[in-house]
Amino acid sequence: MQHFSTDCCQTSSMDDAELINQILNGNMNAFTFLVSRYQKLVVHITGRLIQRQDELEDVCQEVFLKVYQNLGKYRNECKLSTWIATIAYNTSINYLRKFKKGDEVNPDDSAALRNLTDLNSDDYEKTDLHRYIREQIENLPVQYRTVLTLYHLEEFSYQEIEQITGMPEGTVKSYLFRAKALLKEKLKFVVDNNSLKTVKEINNES
Amino acid sequence: MNHERLDSILEKSFRTEPGYRLSDGFAQKVTSRIVAKNQWLTDIYEYFYLSVLVLFLIGIAAGTYYLVNKEVLLQIFKFISGNAWQVAMIALILNFIFFADRVLLRLLFRSLPQPYQRRGERVEIL
Repeated sequence: MQHFSTDCCQTSSMDDAELINQILNGNMNAFTFLVSRYQKLVVHITGRLIQRQDELEDVCQEVFLKVYQNLGKYRNECKLSTWIATIAYNTSINYLRKFKKGDEVNPDDSAALRNLTDLNSDDYEKTDLHRYIREQIENLPVQYRTVLTLYHLEEFSYQEIEQITGMPEGTVKSYLFRAKALLKEKLKFVVDNNSLKTVKEINNES
Repeated sequence: MNHERLDSILEKSFRTEPGYRLSDGFAQKVTSRIVAKNQWLTDIYEYFYLSVLVLFLIGIAAGTYYLVNKEVLLQIFKFISGNAWQVAMIALILNFIFFADRVLLRLLFRSLPQPYQRRGERVEIL
């Protein structure tokens, strides 16, 4: 029978090593706390990769089940967040392989560019640019979405992204550059059309 | 200059959280699932160990009877071999009752919604 301790207040100030120790000793409250601490990280990676809200909770549960089952094998060689992100990435990639057979292996930029929705310069002033960009990120190839999320949203270093995804550092940098270039391509009229006033307004708003 | 502004807008958008959400109490749900899974395994092991223990005790009783009173044991064997089908069915039913008590009912009980799980608590019907 699992041990449920009531010391939830103590867990809030725990560091990762202490937390792991507690979980390995059977404290399931500590595990609940670990899930709460890292669920945002997992949901960002998994969500961006699988892009299905209805399946998201199941895949995230699977990620944390794997975390629990393999916690004994975790050796402080990397940060716990990197280790959990690796599990989330691998689980999501396996899900994609299983259910989305046509997902691209080597992203083709011209095809990716065609996938992005055009934003007319006429509509531009009425559009929430940040929202438009977020929507376009979802239309990018899976590798681009992954590196953008890990680098910008979760603030992992190139080396950590290399550990998580297995992509060489150069590839990670290239994907980041190409993803940005694709989005810039769609937004180039913002720069060309003297619409700076609106851009300024958006910047001020956010 | 314009390019720098576009860069900063992009950077800001990249850092904005995507709209994916998990249900409230997700962490608790994951923990409960793990506890239930572990408990199921514990129940299976417990059932297995108790079954082995019962068989072991039957073996010891048979051995004792063999040493003390061989006749009784031979009569028992004779009865069992004469009514093999019926004895096997009774053993199977007893084994199933034991399995249901140790594993199945516990599993069923855990899969019930939360209010039914609080033993001894009066549930008010509105």
